[in-house]
Amino acid sequence: MDQATLVSGLRYLVPEVFLLAAAAAAMLTHLFFRKRGHRWAGLVSLAGFLAAAALLVFAPRGAGDIFSGSLAVDRFALFFKLSFLVSGILTVLLSFRFFDVEGSEPGEVYYLIPLAVVGMMVAVASVDLVSTYVSFELFAIPSYILAGIFKKDRRSGEAGIKYFFLGTLSSGIMVLGMALVFGLTGETQYASISGLLGGASGRLVLAGMILFFAGLFFKAALVPFHMWAPDVYEGAPTPLVVFLSTAPKMAVFAVLVRSMVALFAQNEVHWTQIFQFIAILTMFWGNIAALIQKNVKRLMAYSSIAHAGYIAIGLAAWGETARMAILFYVPVYVLMNAAAFGMILLIRKGGTFGESVDDFRGLAAKSPLAAASLLVLLLSLTGIPPTAGFMGKYFLFAAAVEKKMLLLATAGALNSVISLFYYFRIGKAILFETDPDGTPLDRSLNPQLILAAVALALLVLGAFPSLLGEFAASSILGT
Amino acid sequence: MTILGIPILTGVVFLPLAGLLLLLAIPGRRTGAVKAAANIVTGLEFLATLSLLLRFNPGSADMQFVERADWIRAFHVQYLLGIDGISLLLVLLTSLLTFLATLSSWKAIAERVKEYYAFMLLLEVGMIGVFVSLDLVLFYVFWEVMLVPMYFLIGIWGGERKLYAAIKFFLYTLFGSVVMLVGILVLYFQYHTFDLLAMLESGSVLPLALQSWVFLAFFLGFAIKVPMFPFHTWLPDAHVEAPTAGSVLLAGVLLKMGTYGFIRFSLPLFPDASRKFVPLLVVLALVSIIYGALVSLMQKDMKKLIAYSSVSHMGFVMLGLFTFSPLAVKGAVLQMINHGISTGALFLIVGIVYERRHTRLISEFGGLSSRLPLYAAVFLIMALSSIGLPGLNGFIGEFMILMGTWNVNWVWAAVAATGIILGAAYMLWLYQRVMFGRLENPANQTLKDLTVREFATFLPLILLAFWIGVFPKPFIGLIDKPVEKIVRIVNPAAVPERAFPFSPAAGRPSSPTPALEVR
Repeated sequence: MDQATLVSGLRYLVPEVFLLAAAAAAMLTHLFFRKRGHRWAGLVSLAGFLAAAALLVFAPRGAGDIFSGSLAVDRFALFFKLSFLVSGILTVLLSFRFFDVEGSEPGEVYYLIPLAVVGMMVAVASVDLVSTYVSFELFAIPSYILAGIFKKDRRSGEAGIKYFFLGTLSSGIMVLGMALVFGLTGETQYASISGLLGGASGRLVLAGMILFFAGLFFKAALVPFHMWAPDVYEGAPTPLVVFLSTAPKMAVFAVLVRSMVALFAQNEVHWTQIFQFIAILTMFWGNIAALIQKNVKRLMAYSSIAHAGYIAIGLAAWGETARMAILFYVPVYVLMNAAAFGMILLIRKGGTFGESVDDFRGLAAKSPLAAASLLVLLLSLTGIPPTAGFMGKYFLFAAAVEKKMLLLATAGALNSVISLFYYFRIGKAILFETDPDGTPLDRSLNPQLILAAVALALLVLGAFPSLLGEFAASSILGT
Repeated sequence: MTILGIPILTGVVFLPLAGLLLLLAIPGRRTGAVKAAANIVTGLEFLATLSLLLRFNPGSADMQFVERADWIRAFHVQYLLGIDGISLLLVLLTSLLTFLATLSSWKAIAERVKEYYAFMLLLEVGMIGVFVSLDLVLFYVFWEVMLVPMYFLIGIWGGERKLYAAIKFFLYTLFGSVVMLVGILVLYFQYHTFDLLAMLESGSVLPLALQSWVFLAFFLGFAIKVPMFPFHTWLPDAHVEAPTAGSVLLAGVLLKMGTYGFIRFSLPLFPDASRKFVPLLVVLALVSIIYGALVSLMQKDMKKLIAYSSVSHMGFVMLGLFTFSPLAVKGAVLQMINHGISTGALFLIVGIVYERRHTRLISEFGGLSSRLPLYAAVFLIMALSSIGLPGLNGFIGEFMILMGTWNVNWVWAAVAATGIILGAAYMLWLYQRVMFGRLENPANQTLKDLTVREFATFLPLILLAFWIGVFPKPFIGLIDKPVEKIVRIVNPAAVPERAFPFSPAAGRPSSPTPALEVR
């Protein structure tokens, strides 16, 4: 790659480069500020995220591929990048209060998150096997550290190790698939590979595709590759779970969609069945396993697995409607999961936060605002109008019905009913029950305000889905 | 038609929501102000729905006051509202019953007052929205929106087993509705619109096999709501545990959404499937009539008795709808209103003694008529209206249903008529055990008769019961044309009766066998 391509390509990466600089600045801030260095680092990274979001909106677009065809500059990538930034911002905001209460000061968090986000922003734009793999590792490694960052907590350590081992394993599987594809075609760029494969269904092609997908399923925690997720989400520090359960998964879905459009475009017949099977399995498994959980974090971990299953409906019911539906669900998923794990920061219990469903008893009396926000959140997670969660599911089911996959749509619909049962165990605790132990509300307004903002966004997007839908519809790939 | 620049139907749907926002601004401690505000809002809403009558043309079968705007352009979902006579009557019933239910809650609700009224207003938005939506997605949204406040009304202010009853209600109805959602989506990909009017105007109907599947998907959603045997098991729990106002709205309005769904969507959209499933529907309706009545006879709890009587009464409505005889369908629609009036009132009546005695066991009472004469009179009128005594509203509806059914199949009518006899049995027996005999229970010695506020909640219902019973023409006039339009789609051979059913020429279709092959 000569210098000219490099420089002309960098023009399109200003937000990423800026975020990288912000991460470096946060690292230095953390090192050199003696007092409250972690707080300053947090503010630097927050500012970095906001600036990157602003830069993204005004960044030049539509140049085709850059860096000799390794990265694409399109609205699809932009859509995901903005979602990652939202996830990063929510995580940083929630982290402030959490680490204050927990008393440890892992300032590393504030530069690991932007670093991981940079990796994801590159991953969703990748149209080349090499850049895909490298960018995956770029966000995976900070994620492992984030999961295990709580050195005093054994659960966090376990989460980090587990995440690391299974994450590396899945990367290995994915790279094996890539190697097969490369070996068959001798190309690394999606477009050239796709042309050479041309819908071939030889054993090696299918093996390569399936291994590549399997690695991605692992990272997206789709059943049966999900085993790590509940443990990691339960063990990792709560605000970081907000990040880990949203951004990396969405990056994986972006790569899946892009590979289906650009890499294995002509192998659709081969993957439809796989995705249909995975979607049904994931929804049922996630929702049924969530039924018996008493710990909110673990419950929401299974719920997030189930929600990834709903997105997989879109992958199975492949088509323009499905791609729009997936895009609509991505930011909605980010918002819902951020709030689902963020709600744990509401209740103080001893030196930490209450994680059990019982800790939420009587919340309505303690804070009507928090209770109302959580109610909206639970409705949205269940998929009841007028919330964004309903609209998201509605689009996905519509995509399935359009492809005449009635079984899939019905399975999705029935899963809403199953999920109602456990979501409203929390709802019941919040609104119907009284608190016998007097667990206090956290006095910081931070989580309450964030939850209220998310709830408002879910309601507005539920009542006026076109606000997001038009953007999603104009960002789909491959039209 | 607009009022103050707001299209009238939008205004009618969202007035309670505006009231809700106003209510939230009042501090929760000032319960008096909260109650007053909620009563004023529901009262204004009733007046607003009444104002629809001023410009409504009862001679037309078409949708009126239609409002249309894009909602989700990518999926051709519209914000499409409109009413015909059927919707109008149900909207009026809803706003009246909500107003009365709110009024009846004044003393009954002592804790979490502000939340209670907030949920009531939210419920009203959902209920009215269901009856005025003509876009299937919009309809579905309102249909679901209404579940949530009812869940909380039962779960927070309900009786002993409220948690169980609340989640059971929610799960059952959600199960039915998500299956319906899949059905709605299947329709969309056939018609490429969610607009009910456009679907009907297109003149095309789906092939029978597909129609049947979609009909069954809708059936599940609606039948659970009605509720038809065997989908009725949520109802006794929900009714018994709900607070009085919740039961009134459940019985008075929510159940009607099921039958409304059948007449508004199932019959016109799936005419062939509707005809095909007549045997199933009629058998279920007849079983509901007899089973509901028999179970009512056995009840020890007054509220449960009335709850099961709803299963029986709604069976009549379903029977009337699925005879596809214009007379019976009109009777069914009128009976929806009648059931709302009489059963709504009966739940209020039970609520009155429950508020005073905190029990609803029939055995706890007896001889109340000597102590509470006014109450006894109100109870008697409503019990007789529920039984179907001539001169009161129930008679007109049931008579029209039975007469229309008789012309189609006399066996059905005969079976259904036994339901009326059983209905008289459980209702009169209930009245006898509670009201007559000697006032023996010492706890009942000090009971107080109806207060002015309580009597005021009954007065409109009593007046309506007599009005419909003596002079039903204005009510039937509203539903005449729209019902005939729908029946023509599903049963083209039916000859509309022009005259009032009691004139000799009426009720007798010229062809002895209407286009049904189900005899």
